[in-house]
Amino acid sequence: MSNTSNGASAYQPPPADVTRAKVSAGLARRYRAEARFRALGLSATLLGILFVIFLFGSVIWRGYSIFGQHQVRLDVFFDPEVIDPSGTHSREALLAADYQALVRAALKSRFTEVEGRRQVRDLTALVSTGAAADVQDAVLADPSLIGQRRSMWVLTSSNVDWLLKGKVARSAPENERRISDEQLGWLDALIKDGRIEQRFNWTFFRHGDSRDPELAGVGGALAGSLLTLFVTLLLSFPVGVAAAIYLEEFARQNRITDLIEVNINNLAAVPSIVFGLLGLSMFIGFFGMPRSAPLVGGVVLTLLTLPTIIIASRAALKAVPPSIREAALGMGASRVQTVAHHVLPLAMPGMLTGAIIGMARALGESAPLLMIGMVAFIVDIPQGLTDPSTVLPVQVFLWSDSPERAFVERTSGAIIVLLLFLILMNATAVVLRNRFEKRW
Amino acid sequence: MNDSIPQAGPETVGNVRVPEPVFSCTDVNVHYGDKHAIKNVNIDIARQEVLAMIGPSGCGKSTFLRCLNRMNDTIPSARVTGRIALDGNDIHDKRQDVVQLRARVGMVFQKPNPFPKSIYENVAYGPRIHGLAADRAELDDIVGSSLRRAGLWDEVKDRLNQPGTSLSGGQQQRLCIARTIAVNPEVILMDEPCSALDPIATAKIEDLIDELRESYAICIVTHSMQQAARVSQRTAYFHLGDLVEVGETNKIFTNPRAKLTEDYITGRFG
Repeated sequence: MSNTSNGASAYQPPPADVTRAKVSAGLARRYRAEARFRALGLSATLLGILFVIFLFGSVIWRGYSIFGQHQVRLDVFFDPEVIDPSGTHSREALLAADYQALVRAALKSRFTEVEGRRQVRDLTALVSTGAAADVQDAVLADPSLIGQRRSMWVLTSSNVDWLLKGKVARSAPENERRISDEQLGWLDALIKDGRIEQRFNWTFFRHGDSRDPELAGVGGALAGSLLTLFVTLLLSFPVGVAAAIYLEEFARQNRITDLIEVNINNLAAVPSIVFGLLGLSMFIGFFGMPRSAPLVGGVVLTLLTLPTIIIASRAALKAVPPSIREAALGMGASRVQTVAHHVLPLAMPGMLTGAIIGMARALGESAPLLMIGMVAFIVDIPQGLTDPSTVLPVQVFLWSDSPERAFVERTSGAIIVLLLFLILMNATAVVLRNRFEKRW
Repeated sequence: MNDSIPQAGPETVGNVRVPEPVFSCTDVNVHYGDKHAIKNVNIDIARQEVLAMIGPSGCGKSTFLRCLNRMNDTIPSARVTGRIALDGNDIHDKRQDVVQLRARVGMVFQKPNPFPKSIYENVAYGPRIHGLAADRAELDDIVGSSLRRAGLWDEVKDRLNQPGTSLSGGQQQRLCIARTIAVNPEVILMDEPCSALDPIATAKIEDLIDELRESYAICIVTHSMQQAARVSQRTAYFHLGDLVEVGETNKIFTNPRAKLTEDYITGRFG
């Protein structure tokens, strides 16, 4: 206790009031630094929020109108002379008939004064080319319609929809609004009849891509995205979790596992287009898998999400307290039993969260899919894993490149759908984490 | 062969050997990487007896305890040499299955670590993985009797389905003891089982240890010399990896033969 004498310095503590004065002198500076730091943090946060609001705001502002679409009610006469002159009602005859003529006739029956090829063409241009397909579908579904007259709601053309949504002013010059004064007159007459209505845009969700904006939808891309993600989840979750368990619970810690760990982290940072090139040369070039297919897309995105899932799963396993493992091992549980019965259930919420975040990243990925041909113009909704298809972000990319103005609205609409899915997935991750995370 | 080898280790004072030991350890050394954590330890553990291991922090008593059910296997850098015989058979023998060993040598840890499952599942887990119960009724019996013997039954009998982690610290530790005895082990190792508990919970555990001694050999590591004096029949004093002295508890505390032991129990250091 008495070894103060061999301390070399002769330091004497100053009186208490001197110490107090020194501390107070520095206080103001400390508080200033704190206030500065808080202000910086707050402004950074506000800036971030501002950007998010700007992003969501501009997308929603441009895209919200996609959920409605103007339709026109036509009194279609299902003329047996046009549809089925032979009267056989055979499927071939019904498929081959000129339904556009029926649409034209329906319009002409309202505007009897229309004469000549040009006027007729301009009049039918008010209605989408998809109207003929709608009439055909109605006939194919119910051949007894032939010979009858029915009221049908069909799509207006995108230029009409664009005008009626107020995206372009009525007073704009003709070539800018792409609707002639004559067409405008017909349109006003139809509106006066109560034949024009804005209805919920099912077309946008049910259809695949189309050259006609009013007929283009995200249905195909949505199905493609879901099929692709299905493959990705099926492959990357089990493989990722198994790899994480092996590395975390069974592998010896040595130079090889260190090397593997470093490379997994590197893999997570590899630009996604590189995975696309790999997929192109490996899966399509070498293994001969089909091009543009969700199967290949899913495999490529698996490569992309695997590192994310492995890293998240390892973190989740690390977070399980070692005392649980010791308890199980001390009871005589084997290592596999310890992991399966105790560690895995505790780590599962974290693993699922990681998987969902990986999936969300895969959902938003477009670059690698461009490389494997999922960028094609695909009208049909894919029905299986090997059907050619595209995905939502690629659809956004394709539409944003289209010259027709109505595709601007569709681009934003597709982004809204994509964002909704991303938000849904991230919300699921949060809910899973909160609900199943056990406290110990 | 008790008094014939009064000093098996080069430095150990006292009788390290007992008649018909459950554990018999000869020249046990443990290395953690370069660190020599246990040096030539020779000691027997007798049946129906509590052996207390005391010593300053870092002296290797926990490490030695973990040798007895090969928990050190889980530490990659640990290397254990020497002979540790359970009922005459070396536990490091190739024929000795580690799962079997840990079923025979149960362990209670420093911090209560019940599984984040129900109280019932905590106790039922061991019998279940070892296939000790033929049917649900037998499993119920094992769980009930284990909880009763751990003195926990009256407190938890109405809430067996609640999570084990919802119990108080002392109850959790008794749950861990119940979980251990549900497997019907031959030896119970306790690594400072009361260090995280208040004095009342500690007293309950000590009473429990005293009762359990009838059926099991118990080996307890403790920092509290009072606890060692209260619960144990024999005491081993470890110092920097050496087993300094082994003897009957009342003799060690009243009349230690080694200088280091005396310094420690009189509070000179530790």
